[in-house]
Amino acid sequence: MKHIQLRSLIARDLKLFFRDKGVFFPSLISPLILLFLFIAFLGNVYRDSIRSVLEGFSVSDAFVESVAAGWLLSSLLAVCAVTVSFTANTVMVQDRVGGQLDDFTVSPVSSATVSLAYFLSAFLATAIVCFVALGAGMIYIAVAGWHLSAADVFLTIADTLLLIFFGTAFSSLVCHFIRSQGGVTAVQATVSAAYGFLCGAYMPLNNLTPWLKNLLMFLPGTYGTGLLHLHLMGGAIGASAAEGVPSAVAEGLMSGFDCTLDFFGNAVPVWASYLVLALSGLLFLTLYVVLRLLRGKIRPKRRG
Amino acid sequence: MDIIEIEHLKKYYGTVKAVDDISFSVREGEFFAFLGINGAGKSTTISVLCGKEPCTEGKVRIRGMEVGERLGEAKEALGVVFQDSVLDKSLSVYDNLRLRAALYGITGKAFRRRFEELNALFGLSFARRAVGKLSGGQRRRVDIARALIHDPRILILDEPTTGLDPRTRQTIWAIVHGLRKTRRMTVFLTTHYMEEAADADRVAFIDDGKILACDTPINLKEKYTGDFITLYHVREEELKNAGLAYRRTGEDAFRIEVESTRRATELILAHPALFRDYEIAKGKMDDVFLAVTGKTLGFEGKEEL
Repeated sequence: MKHIQLRSLIARDLKLFFRDKGVFFPSLISPLILLFLFIAFLGNVYRDSIRSVLEGFSVSDAFVESVAAGWLLSSLLAVCAVTVSFTANTVMVQDRVGGQLDDFTVSPVSSATVSLAYFLSAFLATAIVCFVALGAGMIYIAVAGWHLSAADVFLTIADTLLLIFFGTAFSSLVCHFIRSQGGVTAVQATVSAAYGFLCGAYMPLNNLTPWLKNLLMFLPGTYGTGLLHLHLMGGAIGASAAEGVPSAVAEGLMSGFDCTLDFFGNAVPVWASYLVLALSGLLFLTLYVVLRLLRGKIRPKRRG
Repeated sequence: MDIIEIEHLKKYYGTVKAVDDISFSVREGEFFAFLGINGAGKSTTISVLCGKEPCTEGKVRIRGMEVGERLGEAKEALGVVFQDSVLDKSLSVYDNLRLRAALYGITGKAFRRRFEELNALFGLSFARRAVGKLSGGQRRRVDIARALIHDPRILILDEPTTGLDPRTRQTIWAIVHGLRKTRRMTVFLTTHYMEEAADADRVAFIDDGKILACDTPINLKEKYTGDFITLYHVREEELKNAGLAYRRTGEDAFRIEVESTRRATELILAHPALFRDYEIAKGKMDDVFLAVTGKTLGFEGKEEL
């Protein structure tokens, strides 16, 4: 019976997310708006930044455009994977506020099944929104100049899924402690405003002061952003040799735009980035499940 | 046969004794009412009964199954209607019921059959509409239909008619009483409304987490109240002169409590001039509640007498 319960709860949570126009549409539109804002307002900043690294080399506008497009899409996906998951987890908070959770508690469905359903539905909802953004971003990259290999596309999808897993686990854990609709709105606003800076999506870490850069390297989300930068920009930067750019300069471009990361001066291998992201996601998920299972035993509120 | 058994149940939140050593049982098919002001411990008792919260001490058995040990099986026997609607407002009535049915393993044809039964019972012609667009009465009907989706033996109603208009309350009760007759369903009710409790087979009064009285309404009235004479069109001085203890109940009405109908007759014979326009009635559940708890329900315990 458990699989029927789980399937029904996931379907219900997704339906609530997609039916709530005040939640779904902003979630879907915000990445697209963000993409537009990135292109309209920050596109030139990044293009100038790329040109400044390549000063002295005559690179084509198309090359600069394709590198900038890779940066913009990777930044967008890195932010959305986490911020959208917070919106998707609104269902969990609304159930607590609206009493639906009490209803589930008095039915034969286990707390673990309800918790897993919240997590999986938030993951799926976030994935749907992020892949819409990825699709739109891929069109933009194709227009700007396509340098992605099949492996790059595959790894970008894998990075996005892993980052969504991390974001959903993190937001599920945070939302577990939220007891009001106002609370979840405040957290969503804070995360939306701050996360892009904290994960190195809005500004390359190498532009920051060393102590701040090192501090941000303790945050697991940074590694996910780095992976997306690598797989969406690596192909374009790799093509720089054709533009007459020496490999050392190309490597400088890679590290300058966080395609390669270093932790206190030590290069972080790609596998280590995957490991940090996966393990931190698992840690958050475990904490979330354990806390939810313990929930029934700690209830300070007195009822009538 | 006792379908619900509660023995020495305690539920403490730190130093607050929400439920403090209560014991009672509910027989199969019985309509049992739990009366008390807000914060008396009614909803906490229900929370423990449904397995929503663990108890601090004591035993709760449903159909002989200990809730702490066989919670899953015990839950199958319960249908709960909460104080506030717990339906998903943006989903249709049908989708709400389908989800809740799936939680009990009822899907496909079995669900459609059950839905038709409930539709016949509750008149769910609005099943395709979103719950958020229903009237308060329609929503309450769906709430009860949701609680009955798995055909439970016990229906727990936690202040189900609060905030509903009298006509809707009447409709809800007609459905519940119908269920009791046709299905011999046990109904466990918590309420503020005395007239609803007066229809119960047995009533328990709870206050500050303790059960102060538990019996049939007739026995409670006999034990805790006498008769009441209401006198109309008399002056207060006349009552004072006659040396009678009274309470003003209206602009032109006074109420005298007497221990029996015989004593009422004696008073009429002794003071015929006062009894120009009067009525004699047995005590009501409000009077029992007042006598038992020293509080009135209407003021939610703020005004203690």
